[in-house]
Amino acid sequence: MRATLAELARTRRVVACVGAGGVGKTTVAAAVALEAARRGRRAVVITIDPARRLADALGVGELDNEPRALPADRLAALGVDGEGSLSAMMLDMKRTFDGLVHRFAPDAESRERILENPIYQHVSDALAGSAEYSAMEKVYDLAERDDFDLIVVDTPPSQHAIDFLDAPQRLMEFLDSRIVQLLVHPAFAAGRFGFRVFQRGAQRVLQIIERVSGVGFLEDLSDFLLAFEGMSEGFRDRARRVRALLLGPDSAFLLVSGPGHRSVDDAVRFLERLQDGGVPVAGVVMNRMRAWPGGGEPPERIPADGDREGALRILADALAAADGEGFPAERAARAALDAVDRYASSVRRDLEVTKRLVKQALAADFIAQRVPELPGDVHDLEGLSLVAAALFPEDDLG
Amino acid sequence: MAPERSLLERRLVIVTGKGGTGKTSVVAALALAAAQSGKRVCVIEMGLDEQVPALFDASGPPAGYAGREIHPGVTALRIEPYAALGEYLGLQLGGRRVVDMALRNKAFRQLMDAAPGWRELITLGKVWHLEQMRDDAGEPRWDLLLVDAPATGHGLTFLDVPRVAVAAVRVGPLRRHSGWVEEMIQDTRGTLLLPVALAEELPARETAELVERVRNEVGVAVDRVVVNAVAPEPFPADLPDLDARLGRLAPEALGPALPSPEVMAACAGHLRQRRALNLKHLEAIATETGLPTIALPLVPDGVRDLAGLERLAAALVDDEP
Repeated sequence: MRATLAELARTRRVVACVGAGGVGKTTVAAAVALEAARRGRRAVVITIDPARRLADALGVGELDNEPRALPADRLAALGVDGEGSLSAMMLDMKRTFDGLVHRFAPDAESRERILENPIYQHVSDALAGSAEYSAMEKVYDLAERDDFDLIVVDTPPSQHAIDFLDAPQRLMEFLDSRIVQLLVHPAFAAGRFGFRVFQRGAQRVLQIIERVSGVGFLEDLSDFLLAFEGMSEGFRDRARRVRALLLGPDSAFLLVSGPGHRSVDDAVRFLERLQDGGVPVAGVVMNRMRAWPGGGEPPERIPADGDREGALRILADALAAADGEGFPAERAARAALDAVDRYASSVRRDLEVTKRLVKQALAADFIAQRVPELPGDVHDLEGLSLVAAALFPEDDLG
Repeated sequence: MAPERSLLERRLVIVTGKGGTGKTSVVAALALAAAQSGKRVCVIEMGLDEQVPALFDASGPPAGYAGREIHPGVTALRIEPYAALGEYLGLQLGGRRVVDMALRNKAFRQLMDAAPGWRELITLGKVWHLEQMRDDAGEPRWDLLLVDAPATGHGLTFLDVPRVAVAAVRVGPLRRHSGWVEEMIQDTRGTLLLPVALAEELPARETAELVERVRNEVGVAVDRVVVNAVAPEPFPADLPDLDARLGRLAPEALGPALPSPEVMAACAGHLRQRRALNLKHLEAIATETGLPTIALPLVPDGVRDLAGLERLAAALVDDEP
């Protein structure tokens, strides 16, 4: 049988929310952590986005690279009592990277050499995939520390859905590559069996890089790599464990989508890439769906009998009776009917557009959950509670 | 304060915004508006998936790296970093043979796959190259270059890469060329960063943060904000409380063919509250950024074809601050 979202929040160690930007991943992530906290678990939610979305969602002001626990009155307002706790943090890439260097550098000298190398200093600013990687590193760090039962991570919007899984592997492949070995240990590499054939090509390549980039760049790069090499064994081992945790049975991935055509197209592609990559997807959340008041689907047409003139008369009469002389009841009736009709079409459209995503999810035995669009802002505790209520409908915690 | 120059008078407009704001639709609509005013426009995408050509004609072939005229006056292309790298190295080294060898070399690919920043740099380098192109009469080949840049946070990192490269690389052609790209980005007459926002809390705040960071860090001109998908006024101006009036009707007042007064009031109320939310954040964007805003109408079914683009293009030009 298919798991429910509530079961995931109650049982998993890591829940990762993935999806394109602007679909409300952060809100969903915070709501999952909230559910776990309500169930007595110690939950933490990590956001990666440069903007302060999660701080907004939780109303806790500034967040930084260490988990901040929500104060007791906030928790009580959210229906968290007893054992449960909820913390939030925003990932600081640079600090996370520095933390890795501190952890794995063999001695103080190589640590300083790395930290002061110009390439390293810009790597943590501009390295593609480094946001993704440091996010996963932080997840592992928290999992290892054992301060939390559930770690919910809001992954950065990425076109390559599984960048964050591949980033460490790419980095390791890079460090292992013969071209890097040649940069770091030209003499050693030259002596290795079978290397000579390769070497001519590689040296041409290095010459090209040298001609374009200038001499200083290669020197800095080689120096960086040499310093990094001392810590690569620890780093490599850790990257393997991070990957094992994320792809293992204790982790679950939720794909978050919006209701529009573009968003659903993106989500369908995302889902395929995740499945191809062997990622343990557990469910799809379709966020911000226009919902019909009271639940269910809107009537096929409004009015149901197709008699628009008759319906306008009834509506105008009712409004005139209620609002008395001088009230422009006919105009009001027309405006009201148009508004309701417009809203009903948007509800039907959202249902229709998301149908194929639901189908794809159910076919793979994933959870498919719709969350309604709120009329107001979602950033406060009330908004978060409403989203949580939609995500965990079986919840009796109000 | 009104901007000094019209959008279409710029040479390079870099469009950025949080995911889901409809940035790509705005790029395409702007291209259409510029082409309609007689300009030669080049639209540049840089994502994995090409989106602009399909907005003009869903059945057309992709534009690819070489580019294709997708509409009279509008050429689209997608910059693929390795293609741009091949072109660049070919120009630098005076031949494609050795470059093709390098690009096919497994070790080289490994090095490049893992190396930071070069994708952004080479992509901007290609934009610079397009900006420099001249036709037979010696005039710029493109009157207007429109870049569909990565989403907000990543967008700024992207624009900052040339500056970072100038700082990290000490000597040589790479440093010189990065300097040219940096100059292009900081050319406040020719180049404009155009943020696209939604009139909702988080996108509005992110836009304000973006504009502040742009001013403090990157040095690219920004003189207005496009606010997309603004919901229309749901009721006539003299009936602002229509949903409340519906809600006060007796439960059976409307008969079987219409939804109950309660449901009708909830539908109308949702539209009213969304409109109020949009207006509140539209104003917040203007106040917090200190910039004029261009509000684009919500297109109910999404902007998916030329008809949708026409609507946005008209609003972009008519609403010019």
